[in-house]
Amino acid sequence: MKSLNIKSFAIVIILLGMVGFAFAPAADRITVKGSDTMVILAQKWAEVYMKSNPNAAIQVTGGGSGVGISALINGATDIANASRKMKPTEKDKLKARYNTLGVEVACAKDGITVYLHPSNKIKELSIKQLGEIFKGNIKNWKEVGGADADIKLYGRENSSGTYVFFQETVVKGDYAASCQTLPGTAAVVNAVKKDPNAIGYGGAAYAEGIELCKVKKDDNSPAYLATAETIKSNQYPITRYLFMYLRNKPTGAMKSYIDWILSPEGQKLVVEMGYFPVK
Amino acid sequence: MKRISMIALVLVSVLFFKANAQEPTTDEKLTEVNDKINGLTERLATAESDLSKLTKIKVSGYMQAQYQYFENPSIQPNNYFSLRRARVKFTYEMTDGVKFVLTPEFVPGNLSVKDAYVVLNDRWSKAFSIWAGKFNRLNYEVEYSSSSRELAERSTVIRTLYPGERAIGAKLEYNPVNVPLHVQFALLNGADGITINNVSGTNLNTTENKDFDNYKDIMVRATYNLQLGNFGGLDFGAHGYFGSFKSNALKTLSSDYKTIEDVKFGDAVKRNWLGGEFQLFADVLGGMSIKGEYIAGKNASIGYSPVAAAGTTAAIPGVANFQNNFAGYYLYFIKNLGKKNQFAFRYDYYDPNTDITGKDVTITKYTSADAVTLKNRVSGKSDLATSTFGFALHHYFDDNLRVSLNYEIVQNEKVGSAGLLTEDYTKADGTKVVKGLDYSNVINQNLLTLRIQAKF
Repeated sequence: MKSLNIKSFAIVIILLGMVGFAFAPAADRITVKGSDTMVILAQKWAEVYMKSNPNAAIQVTGGGSGVGISALINGATDIANASRKMKPTEKDKLKARYNTLGVEVACAKDGITVYLHPSNKIKELSIKQLGEIFKGNIKNWKEVGGADADIKLYGRENSSGTYVFFQETVVKGDYAASCQTLPGTAAVVNAVKKDPNAIGYGGAAYAEGIELCKVKKDDNSPAYLATAETIKSNQYPITRYLFMYLRNKPTGAMKSYIDWILSPEGQKLVVEMGYFPVK
Repeated sequence: MKRISMIALVLVSVLFFKANAQEPTTDEKLTEVNDKINGLTERLATAESDLSKLTKIKVSGYMQAQYQYFENPSIQPNNYFSLRRARVKFTYEMTDGVKFVLTPEFVPGNLSVKDAYVVLNDRWSKAFSIWAGKFNRLNYEVEYSSSSRELAERSTVIRTLYPGERAIGAKLEYNPVNVPLHVQFALLNGADGITINNVSGTNLNTTENKDFDNYKDIMVRATYNLQLGNFGGLDFGAHGYFGSFKSNALKTLSSDYKTIEDVKFGDAVKRNWLGGEFQLFADVLGGMSIKGEYIAGKNASIGYSPVAAAGTTAAIPGVANFQNNFAGYYLYFIKNLGKKNQFAFRYDYYDPNTDITGKDVTITKYTSADAVTLKNRVSGKSDLATSTFGFALHHYFDDNLRVSLNYEIVQNEKVGSAGLLTEDYTKADGTKVVKGLDYSNVINQNLLTLRIQAKF
């Protein structure tokens, strides 16, 4: 093989690099994947947006925040919905593959609510008590002032952002081995609905047919129910933002969609679906 | 007729009662279904419990096959296919706080262990972790996976300082939960990938599984991630290496080829260096990054001095320890071209001896005055600096499959005049070319690599 001319080779490569700028990602068809907590909201956004923008094609699936972020990193989705912040290890993977830190869009607020069976006489718990219950250190309802019955724990799978957020904010340790993991918040609600001794956690938007437990920051604080006011004022102690993550700054159809989600119209749907607006 | 009717009635009644006797009641049916469901639930719980144990084991890996064309006339054959790497990484997370990692590497004719370590995470503050075993040394390019790297090989300075990338030892990491700070501190044997001679000049370090002296090397690295608003982010940091080898020689020569120090067997021959690094990530019409690192300090290799019996002369003349002041750096420019393609450029420079220039090499005053104790320690090819321009284009078919085209233009520092430093080489037809490589010129060492990588 003849030795390559350095200058010619460098020029060709630089030209190719320049051409690359023309390949700025512009999505015509948008795929959204991730948080199960957000899936009903994301589906509603997509449905309403596609009605008013017939050319837009938005496909929404769940799977959990971790699954969504992995899909963003491996190029399988354009938007990752996440009910937790991206971890440093996930950012490192995004840096390595796409040379960006990703774009974080806070699109709604949510309170992680604690579900109880309506027959349960316990109506409020402190963060510390909840932590001890989900760690398995408190095993019987009578230890927190309830009936003499074993506590049945229901939670999410470890790919779920809700699982991670609840663990970091409330459990502060490992979940009890007896905590039954279920695929999706709706499944947790259903399980609690059927079991008088059950306790579970998940997004407020799914709370139908069960009793919401008031939560106290500590023993001396007042207990609050997750409502628009208590979440907005951060009085409810298990409050979090819900995020959409993108690989790059949005352009074209993607930018229009994100702008619409953050607009009053998009944020109105947030409230309709049982979540809380960011603005 | 009446009799027939009676018989028929009895038969129908018997059949009716028999049928009724076989038909289970609704409650019985419900109990049966319930039992079946309970049985299935029990089986499912057992299966789930077994499966959850399996999910604690993660298997990942990659394989790289490549074609290379060497322009250096002394490399024969000058083109070939090879399997660069086939690695499988097994990670077992026993609990949230404990992780075991084992990475065997398979290449034809060889099986070796690349990573083998245990990580214990602090379960209270979640900020500290302790590593023990064989793991990557603490450096950006070393820790950056080969499967993600944008150029075919690491830069020359990194390959020289950290041969084989891994080292055996223990490491403490500090990653505070809400601060983007990353601090690492390691104690290492320091012998990994390096020739360790005994007093007779035999390399003892063939299995690389233990140390050869009581000196432990210290490595420290700290990095910080700075968010630059919508523009991107800047990661920056520094690392230091503070180590020693045990002397098996009685002299240590410095890379100025003038300073000779008398040492004893067992004395520490120091090797210390410091480095600064940065990685800038920007979202400019798609991802882009600029990364760089500068490292300078003193490296060392140990010599040997056979001890002669009383009244005799040692059969093999000794070789002095050698301490060289060095400097090296690299600079990357990487641009993603849409979702599937990536372009990368790297300039890297390594000067193994900053005390003398190429023009000084082989000049009399930079050669040994003591042919007995300092044999083979005359200035030469190993003192010449190397600079490399590397270009690469990557195409990602998907997340698992990447094809890369790399071209490296390698340039050596030149010596003062023709004929001062030459090497013979043999051509493909077996003809020997005497003094065919003359280091008063740039020797063509350019290299083309076409690589396919499958990752899972």
